[in-house]
Amino acid sequence: MADFIQIIILGLALGGVYALMASGLTLVFGVMRIVNLAHPIMIIAGAYVSYWLFRLYGLDPIVSMPIAAIVMFCVGIIVYKLVFEREAASAKYSEMTVLLTFAVAMCFDGLLGTAFSNTQRITSPSYATEAIFFGDLFIPKGQLFAGIASLTVIAALVAFLQFTRFGYAIRATTQNRDAAQLMGVNVGLVSIITFGIGIGLAGAAGALVSFVFSFFPAKHWEWIAILMSLVVLGGMGKLAGAILGALILATLAAFVSTYIGTTWSTMTFFLALFVILLVRPQGLFGDPLEES
Amino acid sequence: MNTHLDVGEVVEARKSREQALAGTAAAGRPTWVPIALLAVLVMLPAIQVFDGFNYVLHLGLYALMYIAMSSSWNILGGYTGYISLGHNVFFCIGGYFSGMILAYTGISTLLTAPFAGLAASLVGFGIGFITLRMRGPTFIISSIALLMVARILFDNWSFVGGANGVTLPQLTIDVQWAKLPYYYAMLFIAAAAVYCSFRIKHSKFGLHLRAISQDEVKAESAGINTRFYKMLAFAISAFFVGMAGAVWGEYLTYIRPNIFLIILIAANMVLMCILGGKGTVAGPIVGTIVLIAFNEFFVATMGSSEINIFGTGLVMILALLYFPNGIVGTLAQKKKLPRFLDWD
Repeated sequence: MADFIQIIILGLALGGVYALMASGLTLVFGVMRIVNLAHPIMIIAGAYVSYWLFRLYGLDPIVSMPIAAIVMFCVGIIVYKLVFEREAASAKYSEMTVLLTFAVAMCFDGLLGTAFSNTQRITSPSYATEAIFFGDLFIPKGQLFAGIASLTVIAALVAFLQFTRFGYAIRATTQNRDAAQLMGVNVGLVSIITFGIGIGLAGAAGALVSFVFSFFPAKHWEWIAILMSLVVLGGMGKLAGAILGALILATLAAFVSTYIGTTWSTMTFFLALFVILLVRPQGLFGDPLEES
Repeated sequence: MNTHLDVGEVVEARKSREQALAGTAAAGRPTWVPIALLAVLVMLPAIQVFDGFNYVLHLGLYALMYIAMSSSWNILGGYTGYISLGHNVFFCIGGYFSGMILAYTGISTLLTAPFAGLAASLVGFGIGFITLRMRGPTFIISSIALLMVARILFDNWSFVGGANGVTLPQLTIDVQWAKLPYYYAMLFIAAAAVYCSFRIKHSKFGLHLRAISQDEVKAESAGINTRFYKMLAFAISAFFVGMAGAVWGEYLTYIRPNIFLIILIAANMVLMCILGGKGTVAGPIVGTIVLIAFNEFFVATMGSSEINIFGTGLVMILALLYFPNGIVGTLAQKKKLPRFLDWD
């Protein structure tokens, strides 16, 4: 029984980080209907920001999280201006847009690989290797702090979406782009800012990833499928769904990792993706009519 | 008054008109170009008499492999409109199928390649049964997930050597001529893939596929069994990729998951097809030649393989933004396509 609870604790702590990783992805999909395959590489870029701040100035990754977020927000705006603005103007998004994000991902993969080489890196603040014990149970401090930080950021995001005028505009655009435009929402501005926020969230997630997982540029291909499985499980574009999906699948992966083997824990996400797409393609919270 | 129209007559008239149209198209088609190209490629190894051209042959072989793979990808991605970013799974299956036979029985992959292709298309048929239910972006995501699943499986499958792979026996021929058998094998596969892609485009089957790519729901209501045709297209496009993988494995003398199952190979296939013009017969060939020339230039001037990924991505962005129809497609749209490229 203690084992069982232990696994759930570890799974939920990791799930918190996954939730932040997926939140930006689902936000961008909600507003722009773009499946952003470049999201995971942006997370890794954010991780590099935190990594170098830690290595050069000894800045704690959790402290440098806002910096990573702001840097990636700017990167997001630039990428949007250069690549997606033309696409976003056309009403219909096609497979081509997905390929475009794939190409952006390759570009960043190549750039980061050239600049920092494909060696495994990890930031090692002192708490990353410590744990808190409660009797038989323990929770690694790194994962606990990362989980708390990630849930704080998500709470801030939800507050922003619920209680500010701009958040209101974002939600309106998510629900119905044309209607929002008719009501006087500047859809173009909403798109660009949302894309920036999405990539900024990726940067924030990257800061946490930098000490929870080890990372290297080429790792993002694996994360594409992992993050997609979380987002698809909750229903594309649904923030609450993505968070729940992250917690469920991370816990499931922790069980697989313990009882079947660590190698197969990532497999959980991929197989889950197939099963969800087959059984309930609209996800847990999705609206079946939206698919067409 | 007899206004009764004989149905048979109408059908006959339509048939003869269609034949006349097909006749003019066939008369205008520059059949000599592919034949001349093929002849040149068949003769190319003759330069090895002077020795020292092994790299040219390697490049030729590499280009032919990608021509086969991107033409093959075109059947699914170009004609049917289902973009697969995990097509190198079949490359891997082909490579491992023939490679393991070679390692255990010593039968050359050149003989077993067609069976490797069949194995790949069988697996493709099965995978298509599951993944082709999805449409648009979801299909793309599932194809990436498929690649990841395959990578984990092959990395941990001890029978095929896991992540270390298997070393294959080498042919005992003089180095000067060592590349020849593989070169001709790839040439055969590439020619077959291009011919197959041409025949499919001009068949009723190809018409069904293009109907699916334009509007699947309408195609289905017009009585096309979309599910079956999609799966068939998937299987056919896996066939040539699998064959190419089989020959490529023996050519490299070892098989290992990280030479087959890397995203760059899938990206190259897609990019070559889009760059040349997806849905056209000549497009993948033009795209392959342009991209390989570009890659060689990039490697020669910049070195490093990491920057190569960046270059590939950059070309892909530019191609998608400014030439979404590819070189052949864009020229054809502007009615400026030179006669020798008009293979459709």
